[in-house]
Amino acid sequence: MSELYGEVQKLKERYPDWHSATLPALQLAQEKHGHLSPEALRECADALGTTPAVCKAVASFYDLLHLAPVGRHMVEVCTNVSCALVGAQQVLEAFEGELGISAGETTPDGTVTLRPIECLGGCGWATIVSVDHHYRTHVKPDDVAGIVQELRDGD
Amino acid sequence: MGPMSAPELVKLTIDGVAVEVPRGTGLVEAALAAGIEIPVFCYEPRLGPPVGACRMCLCMIEPGPPKPQAACTLQALDGMFVRTALTSEMAAEAQNATLEFILVNHPLDCPVCDKGGECPLQDLTFRYGPGNTRMTFPKRTFDKPIPISPLIALDRERCILCYRCTRFSELVAEDGQLVAVNRGSQTQIATFEDEPYRAPFSGNVIELCPVGALTSTTYRFDARPWEIQDVPTICGLCPVGCNVNATTREGKVKRILSRNHYDVDQGWLCDKGRFAYRHLEADDRLRDPLLRVRRRGFEEVSWERALDEAERLLRDAGGRIVTALSGSETVEQAYALAKLLRQGLGAHTAVLPEEVSDALDSHRLPLSALVRADMIAVLGDAPVVERAPIVELWLKQAKRNGTRVLYELDEDAVRDADNAILIWSGPGGHAGATVAALAHRLGAAGAFYLPETANARGVCDAWAAAADAEPTNPDPVGLLIVSGDEAAANPVVRALAEQAERVLVISMFHGLAAGWADLVLPGTSYLERDGTYVNLEGRVQRLRRAVIPPAPDELAWIARLAERFGVTISPYPPTVFEEVSGIAFGGIPFGEVGERAALPRTTGTPAAVETTPEPTRPEGLRLVRYRPLFSGPAVERTPELSFQRPHAEVELSEQDARTRDIRPGDEVTVSSNGTSVTLRARLNRDLRPGVVRIADQHAGDLQPTVELAT
Amino acid sequence: MATELVLGGAAERDLTKLAEYEAGGGYGALARARAMTPQAVIDELVASELRGRGGAFFPTGRKWTFIPKPDQNPNPHYLVVNADESEPGSFKDNEIMARVPHRFIEGCLITAHAVESAHVFIYIRGEYTGPYEVLIAALDELGSREDILGGVAIVVHRGAGAYICGEETALLESLEGKRGQPRTKPPYPAIQGLYASPTVVNNVETMATVPPIIELGGAEYAKLGVPDSRGTRVVSISGHVEHPGNYEIENGTSVRELVYGLGGGITGGRGLKAVIPGGSSTVILRYDEIDVGYDFNSLLALKTAMGSAGVVVLDDRCCMVQLGIRISEFYEHESCGKCTPCREGTRWMTQILRRLEAGDAEQHELDLLLDVCDRINGKCLCPLGETAAIAVASYVDKFRSEFQAHIDEAGCPFGDSSPLHNVLAPVALHTHSPVATVPA
Ligand SMILES: Cc1cc2nc3c(=O)[nH]c(=O)nc-3n(C[C@H](O)[C@H](O)[C@H](O)COP(=O)(O)O)c2cc1C
Ligand code: SF4
Ligand code: FES
Repeated sequence: MSELYGEVQKLKERYPDWHSATLPALQLAQEKHGHLSPEALRECADALGTTPAVCKAVASFYDLLHLAPVGRHMVEVCTNVSCALVGAQQVLEAFEGELGISAGETTPDGTVTLRPIECLGGCGWATIVSVDHHYRTHVKPDDVAGIVQELRDGD
Repeated sequence: MGPMSAPELVKLTIDGVAVEVPRGTGLVEAALAAGIEIPVFCYEPRLGPPVGACRMCLCMIEPGPPKPQAACTLQALDGMFVRTALTSEMAAEAQNATLEFILVNHPLDCPVCDKGGECPLQDLTFRYGPGNTRMTFPKRTFDKPIPISPLIALDRERCILCYRCTRFSELVAEDGQLVAVNRGSQTQIATFEDEPYRAPFSGNVIELCPVGALTSTTYRFDARPWEIQDVPTICGLCPVGCNVNATTREGKVKRILSRNHYDVDQGWLCDKGRFAYRHLEADDRLRDPLLRVRRRGFEEVSWERALDEAERLLRDAGGRIVTALSGSETVEQAYALAKLLRQGLGAHTAVLPEEVSDALDSHRLPLSALVRADMIAVLGDAPVVERAPIVELWLKQAKRNGTRVLYELDEDAVRDADNAILIWSGPGGHAGATVAALAHRLGAAGAFYLPETANARGVCDAWAAAADAEPTNPDPVGLLIVSGDEAAANPVVRALAEQAERVLVISMFHGLAAGWADLVLPGTSYLERDGTYVNLEGRVQRLRRAVIPPAPDELAWIARLAERFGVTISPYPPTVFEEVSGIAFGGIPFGEVGERAALPRTTGTPAAVETTPEPTRPEGLRLVRYRPLFSGPAVERTPELSFQRPHAEVELSEQDARTRDIRPGDEVTVSSNGTSVTLRARLNRDLRPGVVRIADQHAGDLQPTVELAT
Repeated sequence: MATELVLGGAAERDLTKLAEYEAGGGYGALARARAMTPQAVIDELVASELRGRGGAFFPTGRKWTFIPKPDQNPNPHYLVVNADESEPGSFKDNEIMARVPHRFIEGCLITAHAVESAHVFIYIRGEYTGPYEVLIAALDELGSREDILGGVAIVVHRGAGAYICGEETALLESLEGKRGQPRTKPPYPAIQGLYASPTVVNNVETMATVPPIIELGGAEYAKLGVPDSRGTRVVSISGHVEHPGNYEIENGTSVRELVYGLGGGITGGRGLKAVIPGGSSTVILRYDEIDVGYDFNSLLALKTAMGSAGVVVLDDRCCMVQLGIRISEFYEHESCGKCTPCREGTRWMTQILRRLEAGDAEQHELDLLLDVCDRINGKCLCPLGETAAIAVASYVDKFRSEFQAHIDEAGCPFGDSSPLHNVLAPVALHTHSPVATVPA
């Protein structure tokens, strides 16, 4: 069995009640497995001392936890009002064009998943694009090719 | 327990009706006391604190904000002024709105829905709902119905997301199997990866569901509510004796529902009690007596002939008779048999199911007392859930309430607690007397003994009640009488049969009786008899015949057989009961056993004898083999229950797992004296270190002391 | 900008560094507070009239007084900081944590002292990796400074993407490892919060305002701002303005000043159409309603609120039906699914709005939309569903003719010239769980 078990035991110690380690444990399992596959959920459940169903119930509530496979890179374009007002939809479409996929999909080579996301809390620096969980600010459609190139080069 | 102080009363007004209720009463109950309905879906006090999810109970409440409040989440307070839909337009509008929202995505497929006719959603819509639909958009659709186990079907479109079922799984059964996944309007009820909901109490979610979303696969499309009859009886499959209704249609049992007896079962049933009624229709059910002809063959014979043969077997044995009882006979049946054999033939020797001590009566409490205890010590290491499933639910509830539950004997902890209860869940022998004496010495408020069979207490008492002499062991055994299927399946009894000259078996099933009996008399099920059972609390409960058995019941033919030996036995259970009751149950009249039986008063003197119930701790790990809940003749004849049979697992404590570096799910080898089995490890927080548990069928030839290795 | 209390000093120094923060007098307020009794600290907060900056505007000092004294409830007390900031239009806590982490932490430690808690949990939304790293670095720097930490354990707990977890009881559920669904109140968190123990939940900005209050003294702080809205506030301005960003203002500053003064006016010199004053959940202001003070009472007179201080400015190209769709879709997506009106109602709202935008709606459906909003409003378990209904109803209310035009013209008068045209929201990608198979 992987080292997840041991790391989760440490996470549990951070909290007065081990249940609080559930979300961190799921985040950790996702980091290790890429997404929360049934096996990952089972492993998580065993490490926490709960059932896989409970882990899935929790995981499926949150947008940042993935129950289905995702690409090695994640591109999330905020399309909530503030970003949309300054052209987020065009940025999203530029990504679709550059990656050759529709929003919500992963490139066939498994490199990039593209999806719209709700307000990222950077409305004053719109459009916000979260690339591998780090914000790019003031993104314009013209910046998209560069970002995609970066991801491909980084691989 | 200390005396209960009189509850403080509060006065409030509901729709103009003044009521007085104890402080802490929920508004829903307070309204009920005023004769007013506050409609609810999600509210179900047995599932823990109210969640206020469905918003069906919205009422106007003063003092409070000028908007509707979820009455189910509030408690009655002095001077409160509550207006329901009856007297408040705002409340009526709110309840109407809630129903409109619920129905917006509901398929309205009532004509083909099992719940139709007994559906709270139908009823409340009729009373409070909108008369038309303004929803012109496509409704949310799901695949349906899907089985979430061989026992339960789920129709997600009908689900109104009241979260009763998931709260049951999370907060009552604590099995963590049935959950809500996704969020918002995409939320749905699910099991992990569509694996079956495999847990001892899963069936309760069917009864909890206020719509037709969770239905029983064994009842689906079988009957309409106006074609059925409910017979109030009790479950005869374990010593808890849950109160049930047997739904019948055209002389067949169609389903078993709970019939909430708060002190005993709180309205929960285990899946064995709920579904194993299917054994009534088993393929190998015996309808006629069987007589051995030639060496191996059997022949169906008439009852007259069978009774002649029985009489001959009894006379030929000349008193050298041993009777093996199952513990599932009614008190009346056991007494009748005892009276015939003991008084009629002087045959006093019996293999009793288990000895349950009268001394326990001095520490008698209702099961519901468990949730008021400060501490509970569960002794004996056998898994409570496998013996007396509902007791496990009471223990879980007690723990949630803050009761300390220990799984070993800490004498100081028992002594120090104001209100301690002992539970013996282990091997029989003198354990009943021992645990009573222990409770007496340590000042515990209560003591329970968990027998392995449903009416162990009643059968032993009945056998004793017919006594007029002490038993002597006949050698050789001239006739072995095997009464009932549990006895027939018992290896000890089988071994005895090898030595007996003749064997008479009373059994429901061909598979259990044929092959080793000289005469087989068809038995009946607890669902086919009238009479009484005594449960593990010592509560005498009434069994009612839900359906007519395919053969005369035991009491009827025993009475006839007894006549031939000049013994008078009534074929009517009430008459027999009154006779036993005078000797064994303080003379309670049959009529008083009633629909919701009361617990007899505490009686008896505590036993002085006390042997230590703690087996000395051996080197290595002590193996506890146990008979699983999902085993036995009735379960084996209910194919839908076969997925519930125990996995090939070994249960061990967290500490033993840690010292051996075993993690949940690991394959481990359990070995003793050269034999070994390989099983999956399951960690159990409630198991004490030094003990491992394996279900009988997976324990092979393992000896009582074992070692584990990965 | 005259008075920067929360963000003060960050322009001149790198306040993410402990040494820089201390050089500017940082953690002085903590020392001062620790020299006071907990009750005296609470009294200062009461005197300051500070109200929570998370949206509900509840008086902070008063909230702290609800925590039972240790002899009334032996359970440990917890301080839980709400750093879940997910309200569309708000990004102030992001900047506060990223630029003045120590002031924020100092506020937490003062609060922990006031409510006698030794455990602080900071629940930060999972998307905020930037501020998270800053916080962790700041806490690492403090690691050996027992003189500052004073035995208080601070755990930063990352959320995983759910707006509802900003609602305090949903946050507690989430922190307890469950699905983030709100609890019914009462019991309130102060009595039964985290692990059923007394718990104070406060917003990031609230925490970061505590040190300046202790420095100034509560009475002095209360001289800033206007009645019922004392002190300063960090306002997030976004949308169609020349200079979007966070600005710390004195409460009572006019909305016009926010848009045309600090915000620098409408982008490209276009006309103003509307202002969302306090994040997506607040009632919208029309272009002719902006001469109003940015404070609780002034906005209440217009039936709206400062909320989480997310000011979103929309120019005259924007279609209000499209705005309605995007906001409704947000709430549909973020509804936790626990209570019926919100779960079912937000979905229904979106469906009706989409028909309106497509030009397929009949006259009665406009009333139906308002009626659905009305039927959600006041019936939900938590404010999420209610605010969704109120916000969308306000678009209809204030721009009725525009909604009517969609029916009369059987289509959208703005079409793709509106920047909100055809924006893809995450809810559109919501799929059902995989098809079930028959279990063995
Ligand atoms: C749907 C919803 C979302 C909320 N989101 C946040 C949030 O992201 N951050 C926050 O501080 N408060 C949020 N709140 C308010 C909190 O419930 C709570 O009132 C606040 O954290 C208390 O802190 P304060 O008194 O310091 O403002 C939200 C409330 C609701 C109903
Ligand atoms: S209003 Fe919405 S978010 Fe709040 S409890 Fe109800 S369903 Fe959940
Ligand atoms: S019964 Fe009150 S909210 Fe469901």
